[in-house]
Amino acid sequence: MITIIDYGLGNIRAFVNLYERLNVQTKIARFPSDFNGATKLILPGVGAFDYAMTLLNQSGIQGELERLVLQDGVPVLGICVGMQILGKSSDEGVLPGLGWIDGQVRLFDASKIPFKTRLPHMGWNTIKPMQENPLLNGLNEESRFYFLHSYYFDCADETETIATAEYGLRYACAVNKKNVYGVQFHPEKSHSNGIRLLHNFARL
Amino acid sequence: MKRPYQICSNCVMDTSDSRISFDKNGGCDHCNDFYEKVKPNWHPDERSRKELEAIAARIRSFGKDQEFDSILGLSGGADSSYMLHLAVKEFGLRPLVFHVDGGWNSEIAVNNIQVLVDKLGLDLYTEVINWEEMRDFQLAYFKSGVPHIDIPQDHAFIATLYNFAEKYNIRYILNGGNVSTEGVRNPMEWLYYGTDMPQIWDIIRQFGTIKMETYPFSSIFKHKIYLSYIKRVKVIKPLNYVPYVKSEAMQFLQREYGWKPYPQKHFESRFTKFYEGFWLPERFGFDTRRVQYSSLILTGQMTREEALEKLKKPAYDPETIDDEFSYIATKLNISVDELRHYFTMPKKFYWDYKNIVSVFVVGAKILKALGVEKSIKR
Amino acid sequence: MLYPRIIPCLLVHKRGLYKTVRFKDHKYVGDPINAVKIFNEKEVDELIVLDIDATTHGSEPDYRMIENLAVECRMPLCYGGGIKTRAQAERIFGLGVEKIALSSISVENPAVVPEIAERVGNQSVVVVIDVRKSSISGGYEICTHNGMKPTGKPPGEFAMAMENSGCGEIVVNSVDQDGVMKGYDLNLIQRIREVISIPMTVLGGAGSLDDICAVIKRHGIIGAAAGSLFVFKGKYRAVLISYPNRAEKERLFKKVFQMS
Repeated sequence: MITIIDYGLGNIRAFVNLYERLNVQTKIARFPSDFNGATKLILPGVGAFDYAMTLLNQSGIQGELERLVLQDGVPVLGICVGMQILGKSSDEGVLPGLGWIDGQVRLFDASKIPFKTRLPHMGWNTIKPMQENPLLNGLNEESRFYFLHSYYFDCADETETIATAEYGLRYACAVNKKNVYGVQFHPEKSHSNGIRLLHNFARL
Repeated sequence: MKRPYQICSNCVMDTSDSRISFDKNGGCDHCNDFYEKVKPNWHPDERSRKELEAIAARIRSFGKDQEFDSILGLSGGADSSYMLHLAVKEFGLRPLVFHVDGGWNSEIAVNNIQVLVDKLGLDLYTEVINWEEMRDFQLAYFKSGVPHIDIPQDHAFIATLYNFAEKYNIRYILNGGNVSTEGVRNPMEWLYYGTDMPQIWDIIRQFGTIKMETYPFSSIFKHKIYLSYIKRVKVIKPLNYVPYVKSEAMQFLQREYGWKPYPQKHFESRFTKFYEGFWLPERFGFDTRRVQYSSLILTGQMTREEALEKLKKPAYDPETIDDEFSYIATKLNISVDELRHYFTMPKKFYWDYKNIVSVFVVGAKILKALGVEKSIKR
Repeated sequence: MLYPRIIPCLLVHKRGLYKTVRFKDHKYVGDPINAVKIFNEKEVDELIVLDIDATTHGSEPDYRMIENLAVECRMPLCYGGGIKTRAQAERIFGLGVEKIALSSISVENPAVVPEIAERVGNQSVVVVIDVRKSSISGGYEICTHNGMKPTGKPPGEFAMAMENSGCGEIVVNSVDQDGVMKGYDLNLIQRIREVISIPMTVLGGAGSLDDICAVIKRHGIIGAAAGSLFVFKGKYRAVLISYPNRAEKERLFKKVFQMS
């Protein structure tokens, strides 16, 4: 059962609605006991890194989450800030991240962005798959997704970067290490490509 | 006593049409009626084309000082789309093109209307039915328990057509009805007349909850008698005068206009898709595909084997039906349970409500005797 | 590369969709749910839905309607109309909406902007500024309550103040160009663009894809929103939902970015 983690951030409903249309059952988890039967996890997130980590720490589910992901190998997909907190830490704040994927979250260098409105990176942009990965199967030629963020994930290990996007620089917009996946963009708001990606995750 | 199941040996109509009759060879009355009465008068050949050219010339001439010389309702479906192409590109007509928006347009329909109108350089009129009224009207039909719950949409189309024709003083109505794909008509038991006003009013009176202030109504008397005989409005069916092979027409429309095909006939409207794909077959056992496929069989566009194979699968998509059911309920602002209640409530039919079916039957007989209408609707 | 956003904007009035001209002459356009469903199927970049009654009547947002619309959107949805408190905003986010738009309240009670932004993040808070030319001074001024209450406030300063208080996006809506379909008010857009650095979306006046092209050419990455353009067709203002398909968008962006 796909379990969507509700720790106080992110558009939970959007995932529920999307999966319902795909006839995929989902469950929302707020407490440790809600994770029974979880075969896949979605970790949504919007807003700031520190705020996300604070809420996660306060939620009481972190222990259960770590057990499922690090011990039981349950696949987890972090979305937007949910991906960023997979890293070690962020320039945006002071709290440490989950550290499940080696990477540092950095602020975009505004001087490199050729537009008048530099931050956040907002709108539809293309992603470039860097390797074969079941998460990214079947995307259409353009591979456009909706982005909305001011910080990016600087992935330490290139082999864990499965797709990049360009905004002032080319950066990791999708990462994967073993059972841990993260996407910087919002697949739940990216029409057919997003639906495809989330369906791929459900079918892993 | 329930009638034993029988299916026609020639087409695929069966005893779900409770008034079907079979001859000694197992052929049904739909087929026989087609062969005896319809087919001999249908010859989409050179001679027919010339007839249409003559009619088109009359239309052009009569309407030459008017803004429009004819009127055509565009649903975005294959028949009306192809007819529009023919009318404008091949016969030089200047139709008033209108579309009735009942609140259920699919994206494909909207796309198809746009591509045709854009490429042909035409101006479009739309009649947007007030949604609260349409909703109440549709719910009244659900509550009545009858099969023909698409009348609110159908009637709006007919009424708008005649209202525009009258308003703009248009003499010629272009109708996409055609023998090629509609040689077999839906039995009245399944799809009753959309212009039986006494029935409509009876159902609204019993089950409607709001006043219908803007919804366009038009009675059979108005359009068949007043407009036809007094204002001399004529209905032309261009698709009957030329070879009309549905699959070829759809391919042509795709190539030429970027028209997108539908999974099934009448799926331009989400409601009609639900209605014909799910409600009618699953609640009443009336599968309109039988009528459509039988028509295609009779005109050599489908084999009986192909039809039987297709009929093995349900007319709706089992993967999406729950969502569709839920969407219909949401849009009608009722709960899924309420919709399910209408789905399972005792069945009613047109004869359970006030009706002037005898007028239609007698009228049809008269028109047939006059050679004006050919195929049976019974 | 990042493309500018092209955003249909729908107005809800008496539970139906309406279009206006200069915020008046309401014309019924149909049912909101099906319209949103069609826009979703057309894969629009984003969608803005504004309830123009909720503020004028002081009523609560129609949560049921909002929920029904959000269910149909596989793209970001921004809802505005009648939102006055953080609690209302949070409730709406919980229904699956990405962004909430504040309009009259941002003028009446500007503190609500940072209050909401702190909780959900700047990116989810949009301030819509309705602007028209003052009949007294001839300069631009903000008005609230569907264009009925002029405030005398110049839009540029207000936009800056909103940016500073934590809003994540400004939507500039020209009352004078609303529904007229003769192009955006490029002058107004320029004025506001010069003084803010957060994302901006413009609304009011688009009559063709060329108008959208013009504003993108001038300002690059910007949100180009339109109502009438995506809802009406032709000289008889037939109601037909449209939106540039992928090929049309590519052509539009190529045209703009190659020439600039």
